[in-house]
Amino acid sequence: MTFGEYVVSRWGTLSLAAAEHALVVAIAIGIATVVGVGIGLLGFQAPKVRGASLALSAGILTIPSLALLTLLIPITGLGWGPTLVALTGYAFLPIIRNTVTGLDGVDAATVEAGRGMGLSAARVLLKVRLPLAWPLILTGVRVSAQMLIGIAAIAAYVDGPGLGTQIFEGLARLGSVNSLNATLAGTLGIVVIAVLFDAFFFAVRQLTTPRGLRVRP
Amino acid sequence: MFDRDPAGVRIELRGLTKHYPGQPAPAVDNVNLDIPAGELVVFVGPSGCGKTTTMKMINRLVEPTSGEIRIGGEDVLNLHPDELRRHIGYAIQQVGLFPHLTVGENVALVPKLLGWPAAKVADRVEELLSLVNLEPGAYHDRYPRQLSGGQQQRVGVARALAADPPVMLMDEPFGATDPITREHLQSEFAKLQKKLRKTIIFVTHDFEEAITLGDRIAVLRERSHIAQYDTPANILAAPADDYVAGFIGQDATLKRLALLTVDDVPAVGPVPSSNGLPRVDAGTSLREALDTMVAHGSDRCATPSGVLTYTALCEAVGTDGAKTGHEEVAAGDR
Ligand SMILES: Nc1ncnc2c1ncn2[C@@H]1O[C@H](COP(=O)(O)OP(=O)(O)OP(=O)(O)O)[C@@H](O)[C@H]1O
Ligand SMILES: [Mg+2]
Repeated sequence: MTFGEYVVSRWGTLSLAAAEHALVVAIAIGIATVVGVGIGLLGFQAPKVRGASLALSAGILTIPSLALLTLLIPITGLGWGPTLVALTGYAFLPIIRNTVTGLDGVDAATVEAGRGMGLSAARVLLKVRLPLAWPLILTGVRVSAQMLIGIAAIAAYVDGPGLGTQIFEGLARLGSVNSLNATLAGTLGIVVIAVLFDAFFFAVRQLTTPRGLRVRP
Repeated sequence: MFDRDPAGVRIELRGLTKHYPGQPAPAVDNVNLDIPAGELVVFVGPSGCGKTTTMKMINRLVEPTSGEIRIGGEDVLNLHPDELRRHIGYAIQQVGLFPHLTVGENVALVPKLLGWPAAKVADRVEELLSLVNLEPGAYHDRYPRQLSGGQQQRVGVARALAADPPVMLMDEPFGATDPITREHLQSEFAKLQKKLRKTIIFVTHDFEEAITLGDRIAVLRERSHIAQYDTPANILAAPADDYVAGFIGQDATLKRLALLTVDDVPAVGPVPSSNGLPRVDAGTSLREALDTMVAHGSDRCATPSGVLTYTALCEAVGTDGAKTGHEEVAAGDR
């Protein structure tokens, strides 16, 4: 069976796996973005929160994904549970770090002018710093998403959703019929998802970056 | 709040001190100063002498260590800082426009915060953009990044004026522009202030700018100690000490000439017909008149009201350094 024939014959399985792969990453990114930006906003005003959250999220990233997924089994069981929890955990560092850096990096004069005009500290944070930091925050989300798309393949070890199953099945039966096709299909599928996510984030960036930041001088 | 007073508000600083934590000496030490209602007072002094710190204590961007600030008799330290700042215009050298908002939105911000109705805000924005010579149709919807440095500073001034605050604090608002643009902005602003008569504190370390704009100048030395506080004419005529004299520079007399116009000097003789004298217009500064005379190798020139002689010009600035009647007029006129 050629690769093309393989894809056609397994289209149902492959497309379902790809959709689940994208979905689990999307959910994890969604949660991590909301929570991570929230922590970033908090951490911006409270240095202790900032230090602790950055250290914790960096710590999570150092745990090998296979180990983390396995450790989660007693708590979350197999399948979607450990996959979602692990992916969300891995997504935090780039998001929190970019949020804090972005809020911090806003021109001091802009902030001083805002405060000097009588904007409250909260208003300056939400109406001045956050919109100006948004492009950088979005970059963090995008980096996290790319990272999760790769890590999500490992979730096949804990019976998680996604294209990982294709890759690992192929690898396990190396040399037998279609083993190479399965691995190839899983890998290419992941590449396609990564490209689609990137296109999505490009569109979001275009749509949500304040126009004043996009205009050319 | 203090802005109800139609006659303008005065600012009083009493024993104002700021000691930044961890610094060996206070940055501002026991400053006492009265700024009359409707006047523009310039703080001038070397870098690091505490001009910005003194100014920022007035809108409480810097909290005083001790002392008292009264605006229109009201104790500023009893007011809520955000509420206070909405009634004080604030313009800084780096401008600090919000890059994600249009020019119009930048200017509209404080009036909106104060709850002005939308129609009134829109009218006000148009009015202000025209006031700072930015054509509303062309600039209202632009973003700060699409403006030149000088245009940004104009928007900064318009934004500071937006809610018609009785008090303005301006920290080198024209500092980041080239000399030609700066001179232009200065003269425009001087005209504007003639109309608006706000109580303004204006920080600069450019003495020329202080002379051009100030009703009064406070020459500061380190720790914001006041070396001299007087009208530009009086400071030029009688600097309090060597420190102030050093600040004025070598050409004090020329600077004083720049403060007076041909209208301040009684002209001799009848209105001249075309008798070959170089002519100057009404409102020309004596410095320009002198320039005209020198350029034409003449010791007199024709003004709309008569003939201005070199002798009269010298008398106007009095070589003995004493106050002259003309200077009083000039100071009172500003
Ligand atoms: N936040 C701060 N913490 C500690 N010291 C400060 C702070 N801000 C200013 N200073 C110090 O206070 C002194 C006065 O500073 P200030 O900014 O008021 O000077 P300035 O007259 O405005 O100078 P420039 O003309 O350079 O703007 C300086 O010695 C400065 O180093
Ligand atoms: Mg300063």
